[in-house]
Order: sequence, then C-alpha cells, then structure tokens
Amino acid sequence: METIQSTASNIQPASLSSAQGGSELQLVSFRVGTEEFGLEILRVHEIIRVQNLTRVPNMPAFVEGVINLRGKVIPVISLRSWFGLERSAHDKSTRIIVVEIQGNILGFIVDSVSEVLRISNDTVEPPPRMGKVERDYISGVGKLDSRLLLLLDVDRLLSESEEITCSQMAKA
Amino acid sequence: MSDDLANDPQLIEEFVTESREGLQCVDEDLLALEQTPDAAEILDRVFRAVHSIKGTASFLNFPQLVELAHAAEDVLNGLRKGEFTAARHVIDVLLASADQLRRMIEDVAARTERQYDIAPLLQTLRAVRTPADGAPRLGSILVQQHVVGPTELAGSLREAAAQQTRLGDLLVNKGLATPEQIQTAVDEQSSSTNKHDATQLMRVDVAKLDHLVNLVGELILERNRLSQLHRSWTEGQIGTEDFDSALSNAVGRLTFVTDEMQVASLKTRMVPIDNVFRKFTRLVRDVGQNLKKEVRLVQRGAETELDKTVVEQIADPLVHLVRNALDHGIESPAEREAAGKPREGTIAMEAFQQGDHIIVRVSDDGKGIDPQRIADKALQKGLVTPERLKSLSVREIVDLIFLPGFSTAEQATELSGRGVGMDVVRTNLKKMNGTVQIDSAVGKGSTFTLKLPLTLAIMSVLLVNVADEEMALPLQSVCETLRTEKQDLHYLHGREVIRLRNGVLPVCRLGRVLHVAERAAAGGERVVVINVAGERMAVLVDHLLGQEQTVVKPLGSYLGHVAGIAGASITGDGRVRLIVDPAGLVTMALGTENPLPEVAP
Repeated sequence: METIQSTASNIQPASLSSAQGGSELQLVSFRVGTEEFGLEILRVHEIIRVQNLTRVPNMPAFVEGVINLRGKVIPVISLRSWFGLERSAHDKSTRIIVVEIQGNILGFIVDSVSEVLRISNDTVEPPPRMGKVERDYISGVGKLDSRLLLLLDVDRLLSESEEITCSQMAKA
Repeated sequence: MSDDLANDPQLIEEFVTESREGLQCVDEDLLALEQTPDAAEILDRVFRAVHSIKGTASFLNFPQLVELAHAAEDVLNGLRKGEFTAARHVIDVLLASADQLRRMIEDVAARTERQYDIAPLLQTLRAVRTPADGAPRLGSILVQQHVVGPTELAGSLREAAAQQTRLGDLLVNKGLATPEQIQTAVDEQSSSTNKHDATQLMRVDVAKLDHLVNLVGELILERNRLSQLHRSWTEGQIGTEDFDSALSNAVGRLTFVTDEMQVASLKTRMVPIDNVFRKFTRLVRDVGQNLKKEVRLVQRGAETELDKTVVEQIADPLVHLVRNALDHGIESPAEREAAGKPREGTIAMEAFQQGDHIIVRVSDDGKGIDPQRIADKALQKGLVTPERLKSLSVREIVDLIFLPGFSTAEQATELSGRGVGMDVVRTNLKKMNGTVQIDSAVGKGSTFTLKLPLTLAIMSVLLVNVADEEMALPLQSVCETLRTEKQDLHYLHGREVIRLRNGVLPVCRLGRVLHVAERAAAGGERVVVINVAGERMAVLVDHLLGQEQTVVKPLGSYLGHVAGIAGASITGDGRVRLIVDPAGLVTMALGTENPLPEVAP
C-alpha cells in the first residue's frame, strides 16, 4: 500500500535497521516556505508532481482543487495557504504528497520534498510556542543536527480543515 | 382420440409458447430466490410455471417432460413448506432443470423430440430433498463440534422426521444440546452457504452487448489498419507526410473506439430499477387482498438506471417499506371512508436521479406514523429510557423505528411486524453509503426517501466553457440552447432575466454562481435553458463544446457535497472536469436575491 513513486531525486532511502517504530520515527521531510516539516512515512501513499488542477467552486482558499489520481478524483490542499503563507507559482520542485487519512485520500501541495530520514523518538519534543505555525496540527519538533523538523499531525489537520470547508460551504 | 388431440400442431405450438414464457422468468426468479430465500411470491411464481408445464405436457403426452417437471415441482414444494432452504445447491439443480426443460421444449417446437438422459438430474433433484451434500448438514456440524454423537444424531434425525420438528429444536428439547450450541452450528452452516455469493450472475440487455461486440470489431479493424500502416511505412510505400496524416487519423479513431468501449462496458453493469419495481405490482395486489385493503400502486421513473449491485441491495429494503406501508400505513376501506379519504389507498414508488444520487421514494396516503405510539412502544420494549425519550425531537422519535427489534404491529402478522424490517432497511442502505429519511404526517401518510450514491452511473452531458473552465451539464435537464441576444436580457426586480419567445426566464450566469468567472463581464455568449422539476432557468455560458457520455465520479467525502456540483468526470487528457448539478444551481441562483458578488479567485 505505502509506496513512494517518482520521488524527488535527492531522496536517500534510509538504511534499514532493526529498530522498531516505538523508538524511531521514519519520516518524509518537505519544505513549505522557510520551514521544514516531517510526515510519518507510513501515512504517505505516494509523492507526485503537480499536475493539472481543477478548481472547485465555493471552497476555502486552501483547497486548491481536485486532481485525477489514476481515475480517482482527490482533493488537493495547499499547505502554503493553510499556513497562511503567500501563494507561489508551482515550479519544478513543487510536489503533491498523497496521504490517506481516515479513509480519505487527499493530496498536500508542498514546495519541495527533501528526504526520507529516521529520527529517534528521544529527539522529538512537544511543540514549543512559535509564531506562524503555533497550532495543534504540529505534534512535535524533531531535532536534527543543525535544524528543526516540525512534525505534521495530518489527522488534526484534516479534521480542522474539514470544519472550515464545511462552514465555508454552509455560507455558500 | 387423445392421440389426435396430442398431435394437434396448434396445441403444441401454444404449449411451446406458454412454456417458453413461463421459463423465461424462472431463471431470474430462482436467482432472486437465492438472495431472498423466504420470498414466497417468487417461489409461487416458479412453482406455477413448472406446474403448468407438467400439466400440459402430460396431456400432450411428453413423458420425460412430465417426469422432470414433477421432480422439480417436488423440490419447489419442499421449499414452500420450508423443509429445506433455497441454498445454492438447491437453486443450482433447479436452474439446471429449467435449462433441461427449455432444451426439451425447444426440441418439441422443432419437432425433434428424442430420449434424454435425465436420470442424473432426477437423482440430484431427489437428493436435494433428502439432502446429503452441498451445504453441510446441521447434524454433521454438530457431530464435528462434538455436541452430539453420531448414534444420537441418527436417532434424533428419525425422531425429528417423525414428529415433523426441526432437528435443532428436538435436540434442545431432549437436552442433548443447548440453544447456543445449535445457534453456533446454524451460523456455521449459513456462513458456509454464503461463501458461494462470490460468483454472481446478471442479465444484460442484448443490445448493450451487441454494441460492445461491435466496438470490439472496430477495435480490431483499427489494429489491422495500424499494422498495415506500419508495413507500408517500413516498405517505403508512403512518404512522411502521408504517414503522419494516416497515423493521426488512426489514433483519432482508436481514441474514439476505446472511449466508446469504456462507456459501453460500464453500461453493461447498469440495469433499470424496473427489475426491482416490477415485482411490486403483484406484491401489492396479493398482500392488499390478504389484508382486505384496497390499494393502488403507482410507479414512476422505473427506467432509471442503477448499478447492478445497488439494484440488488435495494430490493430488500423496498420490500420491507412497501409491506410496512400496506400493513401499517394504508387503513382499511371503512377507516379511510370515515376519515374522508377515498376507499382506495395509494402507494407510490418513484425513482429519479438527483445530482450524484439516485432517490427512491416510497410513499403512502395512509394514516402516517404517530410519534406517540412509537414512543410508547419503544418504552415498552425497553429500547429507550424515559429520560432519554424526553430529550428526543419528534423526528428522532420517529427514527426509533429503525432500532433493531422494534415493531409496532399489535400482533405479529405474516407480512410485517416481525420487528426486523426497518432495521434491515437502514443496515442495507448504510452498506451502500445511502441514507433513509422519513417524512410523515399523522392522518395524511408517510414518505420514505432512500438516497443512494451513484458511483458508477453514466451520464449524457453537454460540455460548456465558462471563463476558460470546461464544465459539464447533465443533458437530461437541458431543454434547448441558443445564442444570447443582448436585447433580450433585462433586469426585473433587481434580478437578471431573459426574454425567450413569449416567456421570461430567470438568468443564472454559471461563472458567477460557481465563482469561476475571472472577468466581471463574464462572456455569456450562449444560453442553455435547463428544466429542473418544472422550474426553468436560463444558464449563461461562454461556449458550447459538444455532448459526451461520461462516467460520474464522486468528489470524495472530504469535499462532501459541493453546492451546485454533482460530481466530476475525467477528460480524455486526464484532467478533472466538474459536472454541474442543475437542481443545486436552481436553488443557488433563485435562493439569493442578488447575484452573488464577484470573488477574486
């Protein structure tokens, strides 16, 4: 089920170790704006290049539209808009990370996908108070050698975005 | 003398026609029986068909036909008496018998009667009645589970046969097994029969198959052309230019054929809901007679096509709803007259497409559902606590009838009131991601609205262009299209209207309502007049692009129901194209007094 197709060229498959999920997290890291995020790899269906998007009327701005994923119509959410960042044109490094959340398949548009990495659970700390992304859809912060990784809680993101989508549609 | 009569060609011809007609429905009925083993009316119909073949065949002196029909009749009789259930292996042998009967009757028609080797079939028919194979016997399961020993079982079986009781009951009475043990065994037995559900059969309109076969023919033709083209090219018979145009032609035709094939193959899965509706005429008539009620059945939209799986699953809920309407809804003629209603009650069944859903509605003009009675009953049955009841709204109280074990019939009748009906309705619909809604007014009647998803439905659509977005409008709601004449557009009470011949229609600028228009003066070159449930509206679009048959895909649960959008379809180049929901469009356009403000995309 969980496959990664057409991933960015610079992805280094993490070496397999005997460590189990309990003590280690395997993440896909990606960039949105200036921040680097991590998403648990088991949640990721595949990573695809941006393709033709069809806009859907009366949707909140962060729903960029729908795409055809091998005959299935799936909604695509722009994480840039979600985080309140300025919209930017899609370029060569823009990717859609396809995830399955509670039976829904949807895509997240990110600026670029960097790598697959393993981090130890010990290095993950609860989210500190931060500026822009101080929200509860960040489940923690992973400390790497020289940088920080914001761990995205897609379940929270989904339910929160769903609420907004619903209320938006009620207004329409 | 009788020989003369038996050789009368006219009589034989009549017999053949009659039997053909009778057998025609038998297959379908037998399959239906497998799905709903206790459907007495279907069983009766099969029984009658076989019985009349037996009768006429014996008169016309076709001994083998009589023998086979007789054996099949015995099995059907056993089913009617409930001696055994319509398990897979029983249906199989009955189907085989029907096939054999059909062959024999065709031979009669062609006057090429011969001796048939029907002994094995007769033996199987007999074996079914004294079952030994197929689904494992309850007894053998019990022995396997070490509940009873083989000797005890043999004795009990004899006793059960003598006393005409079920083996399970007898064993419990004799204290040889607990009811729980029997239940486990019965569950195992039925689960082993249910395993066969994997292979399913369906009837497909021959016209649809013919169309598909034709398309395959064309596909092969195109392949041949391509290989011919390839040969000409390699042999240097044609130049680059010719090759190029021939290739692009071939690709064009190939695209056309494969697209058509995709649609045609999906269409084979669609069956009209009439397949289910048809059996209700009889059901309503017979049940109505039984209950001494005068009932008229009205059906609308029987031609609505649904995916086969949906049609199958909707049959049970509909039977329950109609039976309930007959039993609990419609009053007796006397009661109706006293209430100032016509003696004859009406049950209406209708099906239609609404957006990306199929709506099936069963309504009656009977006495309606009394929330008070529902509440009392639920309390009495302990399905709800008095405190909880107080907090429920009227609608929620009415919804209590969906609880398992709820039944308001004072006396359980054969028809309904076993307390399983409404429960089944809701469960079956949930399985299909559908919903059921009750609208009822005491004294006026009730309406049950089933809403089913339309995942595989194929739609004819009109392709339009709005502000460079391609959209599709369901063709069934399009009346006509015309060029927009600027002088016909007017403002009336602050809303835009268009004069069309002698009438005036409200205008809906598609781009504006759906917020896709990027320019303020969004084109609107063309008018598409749509009609939704009698409500006409002029939809302004930029261009008309043509017609297409398209597969409707849902937008997915995340987006849920998008106002004005019925679903999506995939275009030839893999893009997603939205399908407009005309009903939603009318509500949106007429619901807002002022045209919606432009929203920057």
